[in-house]
Amino acid sequence: MSDTAAAAKKEELVMEHLVSLTYKERLTPNLNRFVDQLLDGHLVGHKCPACGRVYLPPKGYCPMCVVATGESDEVEVSDHGIMTGFTIVTPVAYYGQQETQPFVHASVLLNGADTPLGGQDIIGIPHDQLRMGLRVRAVWKPKAERRIEGISNRGWGGLGSVIEAFEATGEPDAGPEEFKEHIF
Amino acid sequence: MNQRCAVVGVGQTNFKKRRDDVSIAGLLREAIDRALEDAEVSIKDIDAVVIGKAPDAFEGIVQPEIFLADALGAVNKPLLRVHTAGSVGGSTFVVGAHHVITGIHDRVLAVAWEKQSEGNAQWGLAGGRSGGIGAGGAFAPWMRAYIEESGAPEYIGWMVAVKDRRNAAKNPYAHLKMPDITLETVKESPMLWDPIRFHESCPSSDGACAVVLTNEEGARRAPRPSAWVHALAVRSELGQFPGRNPVRPQAGVECAHDVYRQAGITDPRAQIDMAELYVPFSWYEPMWLEGHDIAGPGEGWKMVDSGETDIGGAFPVNPSGGVLSTNAIGASGMVRFAEVALQVRGLAGEHQIDGVRTGLAQAYGGAAQYFAMGVMRSEPPE
Amino acid sequence: MPVSENDIAIIGFAQTPCVRDADASEVQLLVPTVSEAIAHAGIDRREIGFTCAGSCDYLTGGPFAFVSNLEAAGAWPPISESHVEADGAFAMYEAWMRLLEGDIELALAFGSGKSSPSNPAEVWPQQLDPYYLAPLGVDPISLAGIQARALIDSGKATERDFAEVVARSRRNAKDNPNAQLAGDVDVDALLAEPYVRAPLRKHDVPPISDGAVAVIMARGQRAKDLCSRPVWIRGIDHRIEAHQPGVRDITTSASTTLAARKAGYDGGPIDVVELSSTFSSQEVVLRDALGLSADANINPSGGPLAGNPIMAVGLVRIVEAAARIMNGSADRALAHATGGQLLQQNLVCLLEGE
Repeated sequence: MSDTAAAAKKEELVMEHLVSLTYKERLTPNLNRFVDQLLDGHLVGHKCPACGRVYLPPKGYCPMCVVATGESDEVEVSDHGIMTGFTIVTPVAYYGQQETQPFVHASVLLNGADTPLGGQDIIGIPHDQLRMGLRVRAVWKPKAERRIEGISNRGWGGLGSVIEAFEATGEPDAGPEEFKEHIF
Repeated sequence: MNQRCAVVGVGQTNFKKRRDDVSIAGLLREAIDRALEDAEVSIKDIDAVVIGKAPDAFEGIVQPEIFLADALGAVNKPLLRVHTAGSVGGSTFVVGAHHVITGIHDRVLAVAWEKQSEGNAQWGLAGGRSGGIGAGGAFAPWMRAYIEESGAPEYIGWMVAVKDRRNAAKNPYAHLKMPDITLETVKESPMLWDPIRFHESCPSSDGACAVVLTNEEGARRAPRPSAWVHALAVRSELGQFPGRNPVRPQAGVECAHDVYRQAGITDPRAQIDMAELYVPFSWYEPMWLEGHDIAGPGEGWKMVDSGETDIGGAFPVNPSGGVLSTNAIGASGMVRFAEVALQVRGLAGEHQIDGVRTGLAQAYGGAAQYFAMGVMRSEPPE
Repeated sequence: MPVSENDIAIIGFAQTPCVRDADASEVQLLVPTVSEAIAHAGIDRREIGFTCAGSCDYLTGGPFAFVSNLEAAGAWPPISESHVEADGAFAMYEAWMRLLEGDIELALAFGSGKSSPSNPAEVWPQQLDPYYLAPLGVDPISLAGIQARALIDSGKATERDFAEVVARSRRNAKDNPNAQLAGDVDVDALLAEPYVRAPLRKHDVPPISDGAVAVIMARGQRAKDLCSRPVWIRGIDHRIEAHQPGVRDITTSASTTLAARKAGYDGGPIDVVELSSTFSSQEVVLRDALGLSADANINPSGGPLAGNPIMAVGLVRIVEAAARIMNGSADRALAHATGGQLLQQNLVCLLEGE
């Protein structure tokens, strides 16, 4: 123990070791189709043949029934929905961080889907007016500007390069019974 | 034939934002050597090492236990690395205990750690991408949902933050020392993830925690009182699925009931003397009190409000200062179990609660989907 | 032979074919694999008392990457489950240990990894000592080359020995529908190929593979009720050595010898040995460490040289050995898994049919 204390009094040695690793993974077949449809302005999920739940984006399986899902299980969902949960994130600096202003991080349950989209931005409404149950619709980028950047198998990054955000529709809020089972 | 299992040694590092005075190996040895000293055994007496930490990306070393084998005293021994996200310190304790309970090994070292200052945990939590929300950003919407559903007043979160930091002032190993913190300090601090403020959030700490686990024979020979394991359980659930309740995860409910059943507890609020619960953001204290059926629905925040969870209250929670005062992510779950062990052994020093015989430890992780829990007592099981 | 309640057997398993670059994501590889193992065992998923997974975040390519794999385990309703940052064989060890506690009868263990998205020469140096070795950027093949050179210099092996391991591996792999590299190759033709890291040639190095594997274990009488020929785990143990290659004799594998002894292997007759000899040269080291005779039946599956799904490959060895016991072609088998580089960590499993 005294050896450690003595060492602490000696000169500190700190070495910087910056590592960059590149991972290239193709989108899975189901996400590939999802992205093609998304670029075309359609939100297409998979409906589990066993339980009927609709997953968006589709995983290629239902994690609750653990059965595969595929093209034959496709079902289109609306681009209108409910914001089921949210926070406003104050960005912290770290390598690669580009955000500088507080941003919304919200879950949006689209009409027809059983899983909400996470990490969505909500625009056109002051932050202090945000509330669970807000009815929203997608703000699509113009077709020519849509890209697939940021979409990955891992689910990191949202669909921001195609649907840049959601905005309030102005309709009355949804009651808790409509969204309390889908806040994440 | 299952063996009884006891904690006979506990070691923690002095947790700080940056432990530039030690390498990773040095950090681990600080905790390990203290645990061995407490148990009055040497590394030669250890039969197996179980080690846990959060994602390797937090330090940028793939499977760091591989290069640390020597420093861990694991050469020629089994070395098993557990990784269950934030709950890992707890599940590492559980896996370590299984080695003893099954009789495969007599004396096991379980250690958990994080040296976050050597990497960037925010970068890690962001998956290396821009726009990271940290852990708080993921949990904030659920804390908001709890507040709305329970009708809890906004100051409850601030009360928990104040309580834990004042408790930490009595804990020589804790990172944050804020003995003069008040509700105003918390209320005035910057918003991080609405509605969670800076002082309602855990710090980023470097540190490690180690325990020596042994059987009845080993416990009998230990120089100080033992903490006897009466119950252990782990539960996992899908992080996201239609109909999920992330505010009160079913896995947390079932994990708690499993340990209560094993320990013969039918009324946790009355039969448990203290608890160390993984509370990285203030509102998780009332949420876990309800999430583990210690308090009824909507009643958790009232336990905070009435002072019941204070160090002098009827159900003290996190007398160590908890994760809100010290968070080396991989270690925090182990610290919960270690602190409960110290309490039932009567060795918690200035933050010792009088008369503790039964303590509850809990760690959680991921999208509040991984749980590791345990009950320890001053006396061995029947 | 009467079975004790502490006897644990493998009663079901499944694996994916080893491929260079799977279209499926890691969890998509696991979902059907786990389901098939469960079906093979003839049980209902909900009867599983404990699940343990093995994988490596840095291989999958992101912190918390292992969390996605939970979806293959059927984690709703909640399950008793854990994860090791290691090969699936170590996950199996933890699940086996959990079964010994006697309160549950069935356990699931699985391992998975896709090596295709990354460059092993970039990823695996980060597993080395971050102060002294990682900054050198020394990749696994270079390390194995150093070990192979040491074997030759010590007189324990020749380049021809390595080539013969490869030829046998490829030949055996012809009978393995899951193998990635299989076929008849001529030893002299192999020896005429250029070095990649002298004295290793390209074929001495395993392929890059994606894969997943799962096993179901049952305890005591339940194993006999479910399976006509359960594969009894007579012993399983793992040990680790010092990290720095310079402080140990890398032409031997002391931890393999120790783990085998602790697993109850007494050197008696063994019908099948499945070794995680990632490089052809390492088979020489492991053979010596286990005291195997020259005619031992090593890697009838083809071994890692025929397919190397890192994080699954060790458990695949256990499954390949188990399969041969279950189908009656073997009575006693050894299976081996490794961790770290240069055989730093080793797990040995002794399996027996009745």
